[in-house]
Amino acid sequence: MRILVIEDEQALRESLCDTLRDAGFVVDAAADGTEGLYFGTEYPVDLAIVDLGLPGKSGMEVIRELREQGRKYPVLILTARDRWQDKVEGLHAGADDYVVKPFHVEEILARVNALLRRAGGFAASVLQCGPVTLDTRSQEVTVDGRAVELTSYEYRLLEYLMLKPGKVVSKTELTESLYEQDYDRDSNVIEVFIGRLRRKLDPESSLKPIETLRGRGYRFALEATA
Amino acid sequence: MQSLSARLLLSVSVLLLIFFSTSTVVLENAFKHATERAIHDRLVIQLNMLLSAADVPDEGELRLPESLPEARFSIPGSGLFGQVTDATGALVWRSPSSVGVFVPLADSLTPAAQVFTEEVATDGTPVFALSEGIEWVVSDDETRFYTFSVAEDEESFLAQVRDFRARLLTLFGALTLLMIVILAVILRWVLSPLRRLSREVDDIEAGRRSELGSGYPRELEGLTENANRLIHMEIQRINHYRNTLGNLAHSLKTPLAVIRNSLLPLPSESAGSIGEQVDRMNSIVRYQLQRAAAFGGATLGRDPIQVDRMARMVKESLDKVYADKHPECQLELDPDARFFGDEGDLTEVLGNLMDNAYKYSESRTAVTATSRESEKHTRPGLSIRIEDDGPGIAADDVRRVLSRGVRADEQVDGHGIGLAVVRDIVKMYGGRLEVSGSGLGGACIDVTFEPF
Repeated sequence: MRILVIEDEQALRESLCDTLRDAGFVVDAAADGTEGLYFGTEYPVDLAIVDLGLPGKSGMEVIRELREQGRKYPVLILTARDRWQDKVEGLHAGADDYVVKPFHVEEILARVNALLRRAGGFAASVLQCGPVTLDTRSQEVTVDGRAVELTSYEYRLLEYLMLKPGKVVSKTELTESLYEQDYDRDSNVIEVFIGRLRRKLDPESSLKPIETLRGRGYRFALEATA
Repeated sequence: MQSLSARLLLSVSVLLLIFFSTSTVVLENAFKHATERAIHDRLVIQLNMLLSAADVPDEGELRLPESLPEARFSIPGSGLFGQVTDATGALVWRSPSSVGVFVPLADSLTPAAQVFTEEVATDGTPVFALSEGIEWVVSDDETRFYTFSVAEDEESFLAQVRDFRARLLTLFGALTLLMIVILAVILRWVLSPLRRLSREVDDIEAGRRSELGSGYPRELEGLTENANRLIHMEIQRINHYRNTLGNLAHSLKTPLAVIRNSLLPLPSESAGSIGEQVDRMNSIVRYQLQRAAAFGGATLGRDPIQVDRMARMVKESLDKVYADKHPECQLELDPDARFFGDEGDLTEVLGNLMDNAYKYSESRTAVTATSRESEKHTRPGLSIRIEDDGPGIAADDVRRVLSRGVRADEQVDGHGIGLAVVRDIVKMYGGRLEVSGSGLGGACIDVTFEPF
């Protein structure tokens, strides 16, 4: 999952990025609206966190332009302004949720996870596809009630696939959702992760949750049930 | 005297009255004088006529013939009288017309002395009388002295004066009326820009227009341009003020966010107490800045805010934020419901109250807005009711939030700050905020603004 953070205050941006990276997200950070808008339109972003009080191009304009250019991923607003007019304007411009400063980073993580889940079409915080359940809050994965231990990369990979059930996800897309831009894309690390995931989720090879489509990518084969 | 036209009309009417009544008096006097002169001249002729008709024989008294050239001397009641007295004042001759009437006339005048007086006859009629002393040389050694008098009653004179006065009054009365009518028409025309101005100010007040129009006369242009500038400056000023407050909030809270997030690696005891203080500072900043940014009061030059549009926008926003609750917000919005105030203030009221409703509801909330029309006022009032199916607000909390003087840092989170901010804004506009229980099971909050 690739998250774009647009925040001009350096200390806050860095602590936000660290927290998100620790949680297993790929993070692109921008310090102003123009750079943020460039990242937001050029990178395969899954979610953007936008501070409304940006120097230069305002957060509101960034959101409006992202939406005008057809970017549909969720946008979370950070605002220091408590006035409802700012919040309503931001949400009206195309944002999906807001967090008022100062915030707990846990709050940001919770909102980010909820937005990603909702964007995947899941209403509840627990994603359920057949016997596989993924709790976006506790980040726990179970198969038939049996807990599965996953590394944060594996968890993000599974979450990414489960949030696009039935859709083919290319290797490049998966790479970009797991690694920052300068990673060597030819490496076969994705294949290694997929192999590990398959073994952990389906040791008996009876479920076959992840399909490989040669030359096209991967697909989460189990249908969403919740 | 509140109306300019009434003042002008009244003062001009008074002026006209003074002018015309003085004119009437002056003209009447001039006319009287001229007429009196004419009567005097006529009496001189009559007197000379008597003189020429008189005959003084050498022996005996002065005599006048039975029939005089002026027949009115002979006809009783004709109004023309004649009399001759001698030096001792004894009556020598009296005209037949004075039968039964005695006119007190001058006698024993020295020769060539002439007296013109107004007298009253015994029957009460006022008369003009002319007497002249005459020295009559009968022979070389005899000279007699007589006093000749004629008198004419004033009836015709008075009639002429009355007639003149009546005509004068009719003419001046008509003139006054005509001038007042013309003046009223002129005033209507001259004052029409003022009436337009007052109409446009009413429209601005009622929110039907945002500024004064153009095309006013030169004398008023300065006023209207300044008024428009004032209206715009007021809007700019409040926007500037809000931006400043927003920037202040931004620059205070971003460091708070940094502090809060730097606490994570610290041991939990010190992190806890620092975090508490950060939260408190945050509450203070939030409450005070939100309160300070509220506009309140007059809204010249701004359109009233459509409550339904605003409530829908807030609902759409909150539907996104609380998507996990699958919120069902029932809107019952009168399209006529309008808020005569600042858009930001209405957003604040609706945002805070609806956010609380969404936050504490199971899933169902309801927003009702109705216009409160009144015949007597230009601006209709407004009722907004926001309900939820949550647990409601404890009576203690309601009292605490709604009572005056609660400090921001004493507010509990949740309904607290939002409701306190709403309370302050509603109070600024002279409205009422009431908290009760809803039919949905949770809290019901009523905000009411009376028509004004």
